[in-house]
Amino acid sequence: MTETKKMTSRERVLATIAHREPDALPVDMGATPSSGISAIAYYNLKKYLGMPGPTRVYDIVQQVAQPDDAALDHFGIDVVDIGRTFNDRPEDWYDFKLPQGMTVQFPAWFHPRQLDDNGWDVLDKEGTRIAYMPYGASFFDQTCFPYLDGYPADFKELPYWMGKVHWSGLVHSPWDHASEPDFWQQLRQRAIALRQSTDRALVVVAGCNLFEWGTFLRRMDNFLMDLASDQTSVERLLDALMEQHLQTLEKVCEAVGDVADILRFGDDLGTDQGPFMAPKTYQKLFKPRHTQLTEYVHKHSQMKTFLHSCGSIYKLMPDLIEAGYDVINPVQITSKNMEPEKLKQEFGKDITFWGGGADTRHILNRATPEQVKDHVRRNIEILSPGGGFVFNTVHNILGDVPPQNIVAMFEAIDEYR
Amino acid sequence: MDHINAIYQAVLEGDAAAAKEGVQAALKQNLPAKQIMQEGLIAAMGEVGRLYEEGELFVPEMLIAARAMQAGLEPLKPLLAESGMKSTGLIVIGTIKGDLHDIGKNLVGMMLEGAGFEVIDLGTDVTPEKFIKSVRERKPQIVAMSALLTTTMANMGNTIKALKEAGLRDQVKVMIGGAPVTQEYANQIGADGFSPDASSAARLAKTLVEA
Repeated sequence: MTETKKMTSRERVLATIAHREPDALPVDMGATPSSGISAIAYYNLKKYLGMPGPTRVYDIVQQVAQPDDAALDHFGIDVVDIGRTFNDRPEDWYDFKLPQGMTVQFPAWFHPRQLDDNGWDVLDKEGTRIAYMPYGASFFDQTCFPYLDGYPADFKELPYWMGKVHWSGLVHSPWDHASEPDFWQQLRQRAIALRQSTDRALVVVAGCNLFEWGTFLRRMDNFLMDLASDQTSVERLLDALMEQHLQTLEKVCEAVGDVADILRFGDDLGTDQGPFMAPKTYQKLFKPRHTQLTEYVHKHSQMKTFLHSCGSIYKLMPDLIEAGYDVINPVQITSKNMEPEKLKQEFGKDITFWGGGADTRHILNRATPEQVKDHVRRNIEILSPGGGFVFNTVHNILGDVPPQNIVAMFEAIDEYR
Repeated sequence: MDHINAIYQAVLEGDAAAAKEGVQAALKQNLPAKQIMQEGLIAAMGEVGRLYEEGELFVPEMLIAARAMQAGLEPLKPLLAESGMKSTGLIVIGTIKGDLHDIGKNLVGMMLEGAGFEVIDLGTDVTPEKFIKSVRERKPQIVAMSALLTTTMANMGNTIKALKEAGLRDQVKVMIGGAPVTQEYANQIGADGFSPDASSAARLAKTLVEA
């Protein structure tokens, strides 16, 4: 890389987002719930490298680990999640033996039930079953779809029903502390302390999903049909969600808007073969609202806007760029029309790719270490020129990825920094 | 009034009420059930599939079209059985063990019905044993398996192995699909076919039963 002076991690990440080629390749592993490593893969990696310390499962739904400081240092990670500053006492975690055999740590508030079929489920405080993990699986599925049978007459109880969805009911830090009376002061204080203790870039994970909340509340098939046949109800729901999300953003910007560097939004818009919806449907129902969300953040904070959106979203990219997202993740390169060369050529100057570094579907999990290295080198060389690229795997590294391949991936990464 | 065309349009536009009414009106006019099925419902779903594969229609439109097709099928089903119209084939479908994802599988099931197949849906988290039991009891032409996770895909290979061990492998064609699945993987585990989406799955199923 071309800068003569060495940058801090934060400078490196901000430079690449500003489309200036940084001094070295910026790298993420673990700064968001979809750009990290699963508990099983992390446990195996630590064992392979002889690294001590527990494997802490900070995202219960996806069973994703929170890499510890030693791992972040070892792998030279440039960015972290503010949420990691919570649950920082030993008593915030307890040991749990996974069905796969390894002992990890769960947050103290999480108590799944083992079932007769050897699966696990989770009941909320009212006894509603909100999540289920069948035997042989490695994450929790949603079981309660609050608006399955139809939309309510009004949305006064929307927050209550959102709490019945496991993405909310089992939410990762910092949001697992959101009901505490001094949460927002805590968030600010901890973010400032983190800022002072590290030169890494800081992410706050804020969600504010729109399409996805529709699918969580109605169940995906019903909400997809609503997009085609009941847009009036969809817009009513989206307006109610926007009210919630803008309130959240106001508080997030107030608390950490001058401390965090990046705010992560989420809204999976792609299937493997193409977007979930026609571009004109996205433009009508979601783009104006996404625009409102990004504009709010840009106007009320220093933060860059990051959208997590899985799948083949090539057809929506021009609209997503116009909607105000600075960063796109995970850049699912195995999906249709998502070849890295094509994305870089057409959109590379207008948005930063946070992902696309390693295919987790066939390569990272199944190829040899040498094949992994060749693949990673190729993606870096396509995506990094001119900045606009933070290296990350395509979504979380799952339990089927051998530690040797993760090590090989980082050996290739090191050739570029 | 061209009832067949009205049914065709209703399915294409995803209008379930109009599809059902159209079928009922066509039956009142004594149009044969088989003709209504083939030229109204199946033809419309074929067009929906084609438009989806060409990127003109997306999943929402495909789902409401399939819903409209099912609404139209309702008054027809008892008459089809009576008329002796044979289905294109019998397919057993399921999401494999350890995996609860079902939207894709459901859409495939609907597109298969739209192509005239009879579909037995075993649901999700289906063990190899459960697939075997269904093959023994119902004697389908095709077993169709769905997986959404790299970490549970191996159960597709396990199911094929189990079919071999049970001496049933030669009696069925096996087709697979789902986001992490590829033609390469299908070849590797000895599946008879792979398709990347619900519409091409219906076309694949037709070629497999004709083979």
